[in-house]
Amino acid sequence: MSEIVFEIENLFAHYGNHRVLDNVNARILSKGITAIMGPSGCGKSTLLRCLNRLNDMIPSFSMKGVIKFHGQDIYSIKNLTEYRKKVTMVFQRPNPFPMSVFDNVAYGLRIQGITKKELLRDKVEEALKKAALWDEVKDKLKKPAVQLSGGQQQRLCIARALAIEPEVILLDEPTSALDPIATTKIERLLESIAEQYTVIIVTHSMGQALRISDEVIFLYEGRLIEYGLTSEVVKEPRHEMTRQFLTGKIG
Amino acid sequence: MRWTFRIISYTVFVAFTLIIGIIIFSGVNYFTKPGFFTQYPKSAMSEGGIFPMLIGSLLLMIVVFLVSIPTGLLGTIFITEFAPRRLSIFLQSLAATMNSIPSIVYGLFGLSLFCVKLSLGTSLISASLTLSTMAIPFFISSAAEFLRAVPKELREGVIALGANKLQATLMVLRASKNGLLTSLMLTLGRAFSETAPILVTGAVFYATQLPKKITDPVMTLPTSIYAIVMNLGEKSQWMARAMSSLMVIVMISIYSTVQFLRRHRNE
Repeated sequence: MSEIVFEIENLFAHYGNHRVLDNVNARILSKGITAIMGPSGCGKSTLLRCLNRLNDMIPSFSMKGVIKFHGQDIYSIKNLTEYRKKVTMVFQRPNPFPMSVFDNVAYGLRIQGITKKELLRDKVEEALKKAALWDEVKDKLKKPAVQLSGGQQQRLCIARALAIEPEVILLDEPTSALDPIATTKIERLLESIAEQYTVIIVTHSMGQALRISDEVIFLYEGRLIEYGLTSEVVKEPRHEMTRQFLTGKIG
Repeated sequence: MRWTFRIISYTVFVAFTLIIGIIIFSGVNYFTKPGFFTQYPKSAMSEGGIFPMLIGSLLLMIVVFLVSIPTGLLGTIFITEFAPRRLSIFLQSLAATMNSIPSIVYGLFGLSLFCVKLSLGTSLISASLTLSTMAIPFFISSAAEFLRAVPKELREGVIALGANKLQATLMVLRASKNGLLTSLMLTLGRAFSETAPILVTGAVFYATQLPKKITDPVMTLPTSIYAIVMNLGEKSQWMARAMSSLMVIVMISIYSTVQFLRRHRNE
């Protein structure tokens, strides 16, 4: 049984005077993959970044409305670092830290104060295995992470996120900088981790949303046009805009 | 047209190499003179060695390093990581403006503030603090560029894993390590070669002993070159040439290291 992880109520967001989200209401269920899709500039990244309050770092950003995580308003959370350990994020461009493969994955654990070598080694191995990267890097754990290929770097970033054992993983167009083969690997990987984690992915690729997501949120110019089970939205879009996006008339 | 540019660039290249070459080779042969690096100058600087100037310059560098690098680094971190945007832009242009102030003005500022107002006199500490006043904005201007060059995604990536602002800042420093080292070397190189600010705040033309306290005056390489050329006769000029040669060699080493670091910035 899935339970509700996020409830988004009457969400408005602005950068300066520019409105990016316009009265968004949605619910996101636990486990499985929720895709946030829509043409570029529709506010999907902003919505995703609201979910772990990363937009707080942008000075011109302001928002109204409520986002609840398991019923708790996330804007009333005092201990943000603790919250971000539960709701972590992977970015559009792979951003390996300037350190070794091992240290990258261990980073999130070390800042939590875990120093025991065996424990770190086990957790790093486990995370890399979950991210389907272990076989490729098990002999290169001491090598600088920047030497990996783009696709490997992105899986490393996913492993790094998995290592801290979050509940939710947010991904902001994680494959847009990758080639089709690397993209397929990431999609397989997301499907496998979605059995255990709540995966929320922003994508401008309709194909990707259809291939991997269980639920879909369709945004257009900051407004939520449609959301629900991917299979239903695709079969019977209730809204003309969605139909046009699905048939490639907008996008 | 192409040949005109070629000839101009070759001329410039040859001229620069000649200048550097002449400075180095007109003095480098004295390095092997017995006692050149270990003796005090004697007989109005026509005999002996450059030991006290060498040590004086070194002491200055050490104090400048201790004062300006931690301060400069904290300042840079504040500007790029913590300050609100407008303040950050203001502070950075302030640093850039301070870089264009003539160094003799720093000297006079140091003279009135450190030597006179704070009663530190003509001393190692006055000279170091004056040099630091100049070195801090210089370091900030250079280092801030390197910190700003660190992609936003790296900062966000650290934050997204549940790190705090301090941990994110440490990651930014780690990512710009080579850049910061470059800034450090350039700053110390600049401070090492500056003459005017220390001429009026801490350097003496002749001292019979090394400074024992930081409130004692020092002899340094650049001010001694100046003193010899301006005040002493033909018999002493070799020492100025030898010190010039040494300074150019030191500066070339610093800039080569900087080039090396630039090339390996991403590794």
